Amino acid sequence: MQLYDPTTSAPQRNLSRAAPLASLDGKRIGILENGKLNATEMLHEVALLFEERHGCKVGAVYCKLNASAPAPAAMLVKAGQEVDFLITGLGD
Amino acid sequence: MPRDARIHEVPDDLLAAIDYCYGQGWTDGLPVVPPTVERVHATLAYEGRPPETVIATHAATGLELSVHAAAVNAVMAGCLPQYFPVLVAAFEAMDKPDFNFHGSTASTGGSAPLLIVSGAVADDIGMNADVNLFGPGNRANATLGRAVRLILRNVFQMIPGISDKSTQGNPGKYSFCIAERMRGNPWPLICETQGYPKGVSSVTVFAAGGFCNVENHGGNTPEQVLSSVADAMANYGCITLGQSVVVLSPEHMRIVAGAGWSREEAQAYLFTHAKRSVEGMKSVGKYRGSEYDKQHGASANALVESGYVHRGLAPDDILITLGGGDAGGHSCFIPSWSRGRGSIMQHGPIGVCIDCR
Repeated sequence: MQLYDPTTSAPQRNLSRAAPLASLDGKRIGILENGKLNATEMLHEVALLFEERHGCKVGAVYCKLNASAPAPAAMLVKAGQEVDFLITGLGD
Repeated sequence: MPRDARIHEVPDDLLAAIDYCYGQGWTDGLPVVPPTVERVHATLAYEGRPPETVIATHAATGLELSVHAAAVNAVMAGCLPQYFPVLVAAFEAMDKPDFNFHGSTASTGGSAPLLIVSGAVADDIGMNADVNLFGPGNRANATLGRAVRLILRNVFQMIPGISDKSTQGNPGKYSFCIAERMRGNPWPLICETQGYPKGVSSVTVFAAGGFCNVENHGGNTPEQVLSSVADAMANYGCITLGQSVVVLSPEHMRIVAGAGWSREEAQAYLFTHAKRSVEGMKSVGKYRGSEYDKQHGASANALVESGYVHRGLAPDDILITLGGGDAGGHSCFIPSWSRGRGSIMQHGPIGVCIDCR
């Protein structure tokens, strides 16, 4: 008996990471909150730790309208121009 | 066949083949029909496009659903070949970005895609729109809904505990597919309200939460019947800005439409009355200022009442139609996935291309 496989192979994708920051000191933080309950509050608490430990500063806050979809490309491009790293969340 | 279509050689023994499918992790927990080459090819004959045609893509992973893979899973679900155009149309509708099938499947909210088939195709393939509408026993209803789940698992790898994180799930995740009842339906069919040409059937897909039976055997006015439904819609566990599906039983429809109410009037009544006060929402920790502002802001629907949170943003967020057996004051309300508007119901024509590029 010959059976077709019902699954699919994952596509080959070229993925690359941004180069890591040499240092966090003095860097500009972006907060990308996803609209979940307490996301803004939690992410600001996390940002506070970077401020205290590395002298970082929150540069901008971005808001996703849909927690389960990627942030709009334009928003990420803008964030890339305005801040040095993003803190994002939140899960349930 | 697609170049990457893989074949598994298994012993020519049906029970062994069923066990093989279990061993491969291809099932939803129930035995599947082994997807033999012959049966898959018979299913593909009902789709005019090449088998490698992609009909849906998973935004998060890039995994693609081809016509071929859909046919394989359709066979496994137990679909007859003539059901296949419905399944294809359903996934083409689910592929629309606003449906967000990744989010609605991966979420802790545990939604399941509800398929509502409207139009002559439902009768052509022998679907059930009548007694035991949401229950088992009809091959088309059961296997179409099941094929959706098998595709989500096998093609898109939405596996419980891995990429499907639903807290409690939902029985609809086995199968959630109905036909809109045409017999005795006083209102235009869903496919007609969706603007399809005469003779074209449609499938509507909705990221659905759990099914809520609304029983009322004593009410005999539209207001009494619909107030029962509105109360179900506004329960604290369900009230969000999300959309709703309401299926009125024939007994309830006779009361509502029999009094001369149109679909639009019923929608407006439900929207007006499916609400909770701001104080009530705050008392259970569900009030969100941003959501209230969205509902009551510049583009607020005229029926929105200050000081209240309504279910949905507008009456046409409530899809309402007829379904079920002739006897019984039992209608149902089905809420949208989790909080609000992460998924918006979509629809598509069955077996035809309306706006081909």
